Amino acid sequence: MATRFHELRERLLRAGVAPRHVRRYLGELTDHFADLTAEEQRAGGSLSEAQSAALARLGKTEDLAQALIEQSRFRSWCARAPWAMFGFGPLILLGAAYLVACLYLWCGWNFFLPGTDTPFGTLLAPTYSLANMYFQAGKFYYYSAPTLVGWTIGIVAARQRLKAIWPTLGLGLIAWMGATARIHASRTAVTGHGHIGMEFFLLGHSGPTLSQSLLSAFVLFALAMFPYLVWRLRGTFVGTLTLMRGLF
Amino acid sequence: MVARETNPNFMNGVPELLILKLLQQDEMYGYEIVQAIRDRTGAVIAIGEGVVYPVLHGLERDGALRARRKTVNGRNRIYYSVTSRGKRRLADLSRNWVNLKNAIQAMLMGGQRGDAIP
Repeated sequence: MATRFHELRERLLRAGVAPRHVRRYLGELTDHFADLTAEEQRAGGSLSEAQSAALARLGKTEDLAQALIEQSRFRSWCARAPWAMFGFGPLILLGAAYLVACLYLWCGWNFFLPGTDTPFGTLLAPTYSLANMYFQAGKFYYYSAPTLVGWTIGIVAARQRLKAIWPTLGLGLIAWMGATARIHASRTAVTGHGHIGMEFFLLGHSGPTLSQSLLSAFVLFALAMFPYLVWRLRGTFVGTLTLMRGLF
Repeated sequence: MVARETNPNFMNGVPELLILKLLQQDEMYGYEIVQAIRDRTGAVIAIGEGVVYPVLHGLERDGALRARRKTVNGRNRIYYSVTSRGKRRLADLSRNWVNLKNAIQAMLMGGQRGDAIP
């Protein structure tokens, strides 16, 4: 049944209808189609005749698509304001992911290293100790956050059949933010409280050099882009295969 | 000065009116609704069966309908029923439709009862 309404699904998604509305619409159409087929079969038609009659009664693909597309309230936010969703959304998402990383580090610092001035490079614990595993897990999360956020952006763009320009913009911003991100942790001399902060997009004295940042950004962009690229290539491959089948 | 409502399309709101009227009595799923419209209007009003769903979804989004999943005979279906907001909307649509029908009838009757336009 997935192939029966494949054309309609693609038409709706490319027109910007939110995937959850498309899924529900196609689910109900599939049920309706099954009911119509059963009704036509009860009237004496063969299965293929019943299915043809059921499809005709359901309506043309263009009419079915237009009925949902013309209601603008069913459009996704990614289709309504892609510049906001892919311009600000990825930065907010990665910022939130880094905030979680900072909280995780702060908790570990207070729990495992309460007397130290910084949580970086001062842990004298065996490799398999809980403290070491805790901080290594945090480090892994911190470095993989841009890639994970990028994959999320890529999947959202692929699901909604958006033009490549928007995920490319979002992934580019994520890559640059991830490449220039720096985390600082220190204990103030006056109050003795630990302080963790982050900075982004800064180059020069406190930040990395331009060439370092560009290289990191390129690696992050390539990693983050990977699932979206696979999806695009798969779509092209399937399209070519269908065309070749039609020719031969 | 009181603004007057216009009727840009005579059929505008008819599917909503029929659906709300049907669902006022009992909850139904899409296929049942289409069959009921066809049966009760003597097949005079036949809508593309698939396009009933965007209307249902729109009414649900407006709060006029409530949808719930229900399994009947092993089939998981979405049943729709009218909310109190839907009842108010039905009353408005019915009133508008009756006014429109009376206006058209008056035109056809030539402005005077019993004088049909030849």
